[in-house]
Amino acid sequence: MIPNKASAPYTKKVLFPDKKPPSKQMKSSTLTNAAGLSSLITFTILLLAWISGFASRLFAVIRFESIIHEFDPWFNYRATAYMVQHGFYNFLNWFDERAWYPLGRIVGGTVYPGLMITSGTIHYILHSLNIPIHIRDICVFLAPIFSGLTAISTYLLTKELWSAGAGLFAACFIAIVPGYISRSVAGSYDNEGIAIFALQFTYYLWVKSVKTGSIFWASMTALSYFYMVSAWGGYVFIINLIPFHVFALLVMNRYSNRLFTSYTTFYILGLLLSMQIPFVGFQPIRTSEHMAAGGVFGLLIFVAALRYLRTVLTKSEMKYFGGVVAVTAAILLLILIALTYTGVVAPWSGRFYSLWDTGYAKIHIPIIASVSEHQPTTWFSFFFDLQILVTTFPVGLWYCIKHINDERVFVILYAISAVYFAGVMVRLMLTLTPVVCMLAGVAFSGLLELYLKEEDRENGDREGDGSEEESEEERERSPGRALYDKAGKLRRMKHERPKGSGDGLGANLRNGVVIGILMLLMMFTVHCTWVTSNAYSSPSIVLASYSNDGGKSILDDFREAYYWLAQNTPNDARVMSWWDYGYQIAGMANRTTLVDNNTWNNSHIALVGKAMSSNESAAYEIMTSLDVDYVLVIFGGMIGYSGDDVNKFLWMVRIAEGEHPHDIRESDYFTERGEFRVDSEGSPTLLNSLMYKLSYYRFGEVKIDYRSPSGYDRTRNAEIGNKNFQLTYLEEAYTTEHWLVRIYRVKKPDEFNRPRIPISERTITRRTNSYISKKTARRKKGFIKGRPTVVKGQKPQRRTKN
Amino acid sequence: MKYTFLFTILATLLSFLGHVSCQYRTKNTQASSLTERVQQLTEMAVKRPVLKFNGAKFKEFVKTTPRNYSVIVMFTAMAPQRQCQICRHANDEFTIVANSFRYSQSYSNKLFFAVVDFDEGSDVFQLMRLNTAPVYMHFPSKGKPKPADTMDIQRVGFAAEAIAKWISERTDIQIRVFRPPNYSGTVAVVMLLVLIGGFLYLRRNNLDFIYNKTIWGLGALFFTLTMISGQMWNHIRGPPFIHKSPNGNLAYIHGSSQGQFVLETYIVMVLNGAVVLGMILITEAAARKGDVKKRRIFAVIGLGIVAVFFSLLLSIFRNKAQGYPYSLLFK
Repeated sequence: MIPNKASAPYTKKVLFPDKKPPSKQMKSSTLTNAAGLSSLITFTILLLAWISGFASRLFAVIRFESIIHEFDPWFNYRATAYMVQHGFYNFLNWFDERAWYPLGRIVGGTVYPGLMITSGTIHYILHSLNIPIHIRDICVFLAPIFSGLTAISTYLLTKELWSAGAGLFAACFIAIVPGYISRSVAGSYDNEGIAIFALQFTYYLWVKSVKTGSIFWASMTALSYFYMVSAWGGYVFIINLIPFHVFALLVMNRYSNRLFTSYTTFYILGLLLSMQIPFVGFQPIRTSEHMAAGGVFGLLIFVAALRYLRTVLTKSEMKYFGGVVAVTAAILLLILIALTYTGVVAPWSGRFYSLWDTGYAKIHIPIIASVSEHQPTTWFSFFFDLQILVTTFPVGLWYCIKHINDERVFVILYAISAVYFAGVMVRLMLTLTPVVCMLAGVAFSGLLELYLKEEDRENGDREGDGSEEESEEERERSPGRALYDKAGKLRRMKHERPKGSGDGLGANLRNGVVIGILMLLMMFTVHCTWVTSNAYSSPSIVLASYSNDGGKSILDDFREAYYWLAQNTPNDARVMSWWDYGYQIAGMANRTTLVDNNTWNNSHIALVGKAMSSNESAAYEIMTSLDVDYVLVIFGGMIGYSGDDVNKFLWMVRIAEGEHPHDIRESDYFTERGEFRVDSEGSPTLLNSLMYKLSYYRFGEVKIDYRSPSGYDRTRNAEIGNKNFQLTYLEEAYTTEHWLVRIYRVKKPDEFNRPRIPISERTITRRTNSYISKKTARRKKGFIKGRPTVVKGQKPQRRTKN
Repeated sequence: MKYTFLFTILATLLSFLGHVSCQYRTKNTQASSLTERVQQLTEMAVKRPVLKFNGAKFKEFVKTTPRNYSVIVMFTAMAPQRQCQICRHANDEFTIVANSFRYSQSYSNKLFFAVVDFDEGSDVFQLMRLNTAPVYMHFPSKGKPKPADTMDIQRVGFAAEAIAKWISERTDIQIRVFRPPNYSGTVAVVMLLVLIGGFLYLRRNNLDFIYNKTIWGLGALFFTLTMISGQMWNHIRGPPFIHKSPNGNLAYIHGSSQGQFVLETYIVMVLNGAVVLGMILITEAAARKGDVKKRRIFAVIGLGIVAVFFSLLLSIFRNKAQGYPYSLLFK
């Protein structure tokens, strides 16, 4: 597979006869042949990029163990395990009664199955080869393996757009850039891990099909798009960006028959294929997100018809062609708006709408606003995730605009739309990262190409002027730099190359520039490794804390608690927790949950939030109505873990308030001065809420160290305000070693101290036979318990036993 | 039925007289009965949703007991010489809420909106011991205002939605805020389109500038730099321009990685732009033909710009990220 792709430069090279290396002495051997060498080096670099990308994603596995991370991956893992066990068709028909109790969830129709199918296929192949590997290990290492494929497809795409050298740079960048590693470390078994590969590969095939205009490549694009649709909801980005590209080309008067062939083929096939995914269904023809593609399809056919008519009827000027296109597009847009108003086409969904109207989610959909990855992006995050690339990719953008052609229009649109979306939402940094790597690759390869080339020429070594495209790894060990030529270079460089040897910049200056740039790139690799190691390699299920002497202690409370649930509760027990932990409870403890990370039912979540934020008796009513057996809360006050439920509590209140504005009011949970505090000055509503009581039950007795008072919360740095209270309706069932997870059992109605009923309201039902003796026939006589047996002449025995 | 009708007419007449002889009325306000006052308030509220109170009226309608209505009062200082920029926005939002209530289903004479300006009722400010503006206060129908009856602008802001939510908390009257559709955005877009269209029409004989790649390139670069310097975050979160600490120190850079100031983003934008410029200079110095000396200077300048400004960026980053170990040129 890889050698085939890597050998592409050779075929490409033939297209540039002027670059053919002059006859030279080492032509005889196939190894020293320039073409062979270049493909060998390409192959080596891609392989090294793959290996280093894979290796840098293994921090979590080495430090902890081979486990699934975080929250969503646990669901994906559970679904994959189900599919492997029960087969694909049973998976598609799977109704999961263990989630969203009492509603249940139709899993087969509400997931993107691409991830499960991918790892299931790998599992099947390996097992048919008699390699007995557990499905969990496949799931853990899937994303790092796919990062190598992403690097290769990025190389291919960049090579189509600019040159092979830029492609190698881009491949090396994307293999280690933190913006992509953040979603693809080992154990982060999520859709994004394979979706970025699918995204880049679809774009590569699309550019290829626009360049060639062949139906074959367009059909391959549609197939790759189908894989992307099955893998991730972000496919909407593709189905809007490609039509946008076509539209921009039409407006720029760059219509061609190649464009017509490739887009119409891609659109029809892609539309039909995408509708085969159960979760997508009829959305591609019913929702606004997909309408742009259809509109551009109509527009393209209209334009093609118009051009045909032009050739038949008159030879009038083509000057206002772009204007005609724009007007037609406006008319189509008006038709779409009319359709949306009449209700034929569903309007933009909230998540997409919030990308345009940036204040929308905050007001209307608190559950979207509550997720931290839906926040806007600071410049710090951009620099943190991309470092030198974020400051250099505008250079690549600049040169792409300066030397524009059909496919560079695509990368420009890709960059501009992705940078906008990444600014609105931190999460979409992921779609920005590939294009940043590509354009930064263009910038660096363009620069080094010039500075390394002249050196060669001045040395009089005319044959080797193509060494500029290597990535930095290769350059360090490249004695044969001057021995080969590489393809895909810009012709511009050749034309503008100064002919005389006198106007070179001088060896010192060139070396200085090259060394400076290499320094920057070296800093980039070091930065990437540091960020990966420190920020993105924590499984968040197992926590590690470091003491002052550098010793590491592992906090394994989450798994301890889930294991306790699995071992000590009945199989059908229902566990109530905040939705963050739903997938983990289902995946690790295998118990029924009320809400989970698939936040499809806001009112159900609001009900749980209401239970958590009400007082104990009101919460008990909700909990009995939902058949809750156990309640699980995360409490970080003992060890100072900041992501606990008390810190998330305001979102519970807000979401509950959205559905039950009469019962829950956010302002009740603040002090008079508008502060959220848990100490004795906190608002009484907060101090008596269920969440507060479950978090701090018996915590008032705990004295962590001799300096602080008892009941001192380390996360919020406060002594708690409500210390000595008893729980009426619940009882503590289990608390983990570091108090991180606390589990409570909900008492049955006959168990707890029932509240006092006024005497006037008491009804006592007496039976007619008012007294029934509890004594059996044998014990009718009555006896004295532990009566000493008296034997004459002996001392009475001392009663020791009774 | 008939009696009430007659009474209404009588009350209307009375209030009309009251308007005419306002000077005299204030003397014997205490005498006016509850029904009369409600009547007057309703009348005034029909004319304008937000009532303007001076000291006397405030005492008459708000301070007198008994009342069976609630009053939401905004204390403000709208006069230009007071230089209260925020009061104008606060007043707009308050008027939106009052108008929404006035034209809503739940309109009743249980709730009235009023405004007291400092320059007209400074005695009221003294009476309420207020020394800031704007302040929103709710005067409930029964009893004295509690601390929670003063809206916490610091925390919830004074958007119309926040005011409506606060009112519904205090009075159980739900007001659905209806903003008059804001046409300014649409008008701006239309104006822009007309301008562009007109410009294109005027230059219709020479449309080559559309194909000028430099303009498009600069536009794209500007947009990209805007986004990567976090201007969208500023737009959504609205951070302060710079931070002034109580002891007079100015902070340009936000201390934590979670936040940023507006000026900080501008600095970052300039630094990013400088690095981009440096890279382009280096590349162009080698790509172009011409005077070697000039190109050498350009290459050196470009390299210097890249090194210095990237180091600056890295050092700002290092200050914000705790424990980041690497730096270049500057600490």
